[in-house]
Amino acid sequence: MAAAALCWALRAARQVLPSPCPRQVRSYYVDWRMLRDVKRRKMAYEHADERLRINAIRKNSILPKELQEVADKEIAALPRDSCPTRIRNRCVLTSRPRGVKRRWRLSRIVFRHFADHAQMSGVQRSMW
Amino acid sequence: TSSVLSKDKDTSAASKESTPEGAAKRQEERAGTPKQHLLDIIGNMKVEVSYRKKLQQLKASESKKQAMNELEGLDSEGSVPQGITEDTQRGKPLNPELVKAASAVASSLPHNKKQTVSDLLAQLRRHEETTDKQKKGGTVNIRNVISEMTVKRQSPAQRGARISGRISLQLDEDGRRTRPARSSAQSVLRNTKYRFSFLVYRSLKVGKRLNIFTKASTEPEHALKTVSSPTIWDLEFAKEVAAVTAQPPRNGFEEMIQWTKEGILWEFPIDNEVGMEDDAEFHEHIFLEKHLEGFPKEGPIRHFMELVICGLSKNPYLSVKQKVEHIEWFQKYFEEKKELLQEI
Repeated sequence: MAAAALCWALRAARQVLPSPCPRQVRSYYVDWRMLRDVKRRKMAYEHADERLRINAIRKNSILPKELQEVADKEIAALPRDSCPTRIRNRCVLTSRPRGVKRRWRLSRIVFRHFADHAQMSGVQRSMW
Repeated sequence: TSSVLSKDKDTSAASKESTPEGAAKRQEERAGTPKQHLLDIIGNMKVEVSYRKKLQQLKASESKKQAMNELEGLDSEGSVPQGITEDTQRGKPLNPELVKAASAVASSLPHNKKQTVSDLLAQLRRHEETTDKQKKGGTVNIRNVISEMTVKRQSPAQRGARISGRISLQLDEDGRRTRPARSSAQSVLRNTKYRFSFLVYRSLKVGKRLNIFTKASTEPEHALKTVSSPTIWDLEFAKEVAAVTAQPPRNGFEEMIQWTKEGILWEFPIDNEVGMEDDAEFHEHIFLEKHLEGFPKEGPIRHFMELVICGLSKNPYLSVKQKVEHIEWFQKYFEEKKELLQEI
């Protein structure tokens, strides 16, 4: 009886507040550039559908050109950070903009560091 | 001699208990060893338990008669009811008439009066309790239970088959077991299974209710207990308990279980459609022309929209809802641009 009431209360608690997870949560980004990149990614996600549709109107040979010019102006009027081309794939740990491998989202230096300490699964020093 | 006399009285008592009216008949029928007399008495005492409800309604004279019979029954088994003396301590008051009758009977008999009175009263009390229980419907009537059971009789053919199945482990020339022995055993097993199932089907819903099991009704209690909103103290308590009981994982398996619960690890075997609850049929994905009703039937816009629909029908990644939203956005967009389109 008491156990059932407890379980029910626990379920309610989970819905209201997130369960406390014991592992580390990243509360700070490495630097401001990384933060701006995060903001750009969010904006791009929000406006992705609109951009796709307006671009579909623009890159068209069927619709009249006046309509396409109007669409050009519309897409230019969208916020600048909503453009996906402004996103830069930075290193996740060091925020290095260059030398980042896409598969691991890490810069080459960090990747090498972890691989040498055998902390990258399936990665081995190559020799042939 | 006295014991023989008492046994004769018992037979009369037995006859009186079963049929209060016709007494003398059965006395002649029950001829045999004293052991049989005893067994008859026990059986009749059981009968008395089941028919107590009817007897309860009789007048005081009949109840006196029963008291006489019970006493005589007790006399034959003088050594048995020693344990009953404890029952006299129970506080339930008996019918004063019965008590008077008991004392009168005890005075009439030559044995120890007090002992007989106490024994008699104890017996009466027990019978009263059993009748009360029966009124409530608590005691199990063994007769009802046994009446439904039937003795399963094996056909001689089956029995022969079984024995033959056991014995006939004939060996081939090579030394391997023969097939027919096994198959016969299996067929016998199948037959018995069929017979068992037949019995079950026949006897499950047929017959009187035995009232052996009580219905465990716990659902209404739970339904009534829901509170509208949990208090903060309840939440805190629940969190505390969860934090205390959540022990760190002892091994890799428990760690993986914990991760799966949290959602970090996928569930194996991997289900590709986790989180995707698209209940729409394929025709709703492909045949999207019905959404094109808001557009003009001719012109470049229609051509454009048909291309859009062609592309959407080939898209497996969007849900039907998303596709419909896509088309509706275009509809809205072109309606806004209608003035512009009119100029062209």
